[in-house]
Amino acid sequence: MKKFFIIFTVIILSSLSIAAYFQPDVRPGKGVTGFGWLSDYHEGLKGTNLDTPVYFMDSGEEGATFLLMGGTHSNEISTMMTATMFIERAVVKKGRVIVIPYSNKSGVSVNDTRNPNIDHFLPIETKSGPRFIVYGDRRTDPEDQIYPDPEVFKHYQSDFTLEDGAEARNLNRQYPGVADGNITQQLAYAIIQLIKEEGVNINLDMHESDPPGFTYKNSNGSTYSSGRLAYMLVCNPAETALEIGAIAAMEVEMYDLPIKLDQSNPAFRGLSHLEIGNYTDSLSFLCESPNPGMSQQEFPDVLYDEDFPLKHRIGWNLTVISSLIDGYNMMFGDSLEIDNLPDYFEIMDNGFEEYLN
Amino acid sequence: MKKVSVVFFALAIFFVGFVFAEEVFTLEQPAFITSAGQSPGALQMTVVCKMVKLDYTFEKLMTADDFDPQAYNCAIFVVGASGKGLGAAGIDIDEETARVVALAQKAKDNGLPIVLTHLEGAARRGASSDLLFNELSPFADALFIKEESDAADQMFSNIAEEKEIPIFFFEKTADLKNVISEVFGL
Repeated sequence: MKKFFIIFTVIILSSLSIAAYFQPDVRPGKGVTGFGWLSDYHEGLKGTNLDTPVYFMDSGEEGATFLLMGGTHSNEISTMMTATMFIERAVVKKGRVIVIPYSNKSGVSVNDTRNPNIDHFLPIETKSGPRFIVYGDRRTDPEDQIYPDPEVFKHYQSDFTLEDGAEARNLNRQYPGVADGNITQQLAYAIIQLIKEEGVNINLDMHESDPPGFTYKNSNGSTYSSGRLAYMLVCNPAETALEIGAIAAMEVEMYDLPIKLDQSNPAFRGLSHLEIGNYTDSLSFLCESPNPGMSQQEFPDVLYDEDFPLKHRIGWNLTVISSLIDGYNMMFGDSLEIDNLPDYFEIMDNGFEEYLN
Repeated sequence: MKKVSVVFFALAIFFVGFVFAEEVFTLEQPAFITSAGQSPGALQMTVVCKMVKLDYTFEKLMTADDFDPQAYNCAIFVVGASGKGLGAAGIDIDEETARVVALAQKAKDNGLPIVLTHLEGAARRGASSDLLFNELSPFADALFIKEESDAADQMFSNIAEEKEIPIFFFEKTADLKNVISEVFGL
């Protein structure tokens, strides 16, 4: 009986552990040459729901190191799926690429709190059969954060504050992070450590925002147009980053795709593009594709919306990535070469599902 | 037949004369480029200038006091107001307006042709950008304008028409290199 009790307890604890440590579906392709965990760069993440897989794609040819981050906000699904497609398809021919597809993995383990009508698991059909895209929440799960949200969020390294205390669980407000802070601050710290230890030359943090084409009312009755951030490429204010961004923006335009070039606001602290660029030697960028799920529609179609389908958003993200790499190569000589990814038109013709394993 | 020939000849002379009467706008290198509003558009301009190997100097915060007009043969103001860019530079829109107007005045007083350009499309239109453009337009000898910037209200077309100055349109930012190559004879 005692033996049975022990086995039963182990099974229960294991299943609880599996439930807590939800793992998204990523099926690495032949371009992946190494695998690690973010806790390899900061012990504090080990054993938490925020420890997340890191994929290495090394050409073996000398060159630059590019870090691609998806899933900083887990409801911004084109970012996770672009990173996933990268891991499953891309082959790096020169230099090295590091991909973190689910930068805040805690966020995917819970439903979107912004629009609960969006299913947590979205089914798609691929060559290998059915798969699920996980539509999570923008922030760390409060259960993982442990500390309750403060009344007002304050950026650790500055006096910058936000009225919404829940922003303490927003990864993209915590950079450069805090080694012994709350778990989301530690997550940002771990990413900074990875960038430093791996000598990342250039990085892109992918995001999504509300799409253009809608007019909304403010609480005071005035109206505003949606989509201010959509199609934006934000560059760290370092002149080299801005120049690479300028080149990239022109290249994206050549695909007849919209793009708005902007730079970090130095007064708005804690954001990846500003702080990573300022606290490390890595040239930092952030991009925003338009997600219908972030509009005020009650039941948005986040996969196959007529105007902003997921294939368009992934195609736009990939175009930004390749254009940034071209910009980097123009500035520093040929340092990065990536093969085997579809271009925007191929994704639009064939669907994003075609390029997943 | 003779009558037809005479009429044809007269028409030909008229049209040839008309064509020659149309002044072709040209600029000479080296060019001085500055931002008016601190948006990243000015850097896009420099990237385009590099592509066509234009001899230029870019100083995004050049003041009239520090500006040496003898060193250049033209001045290009890339207009686009960015709160983030102004914040990074530690100035506000009033200070930026005062800076670029004083700079344009000095360039004008020293006989430099002045070009205003707006290359970031509708996304970079707004009260502050329009204010800068309108403050600078009295100094302009030509406008380089992205088609999309002008599409909604034809503000730039109207300024060019009122001032009777040439306006050069381009569809995509990279197409600006054709305009620059044309006016600089590259």
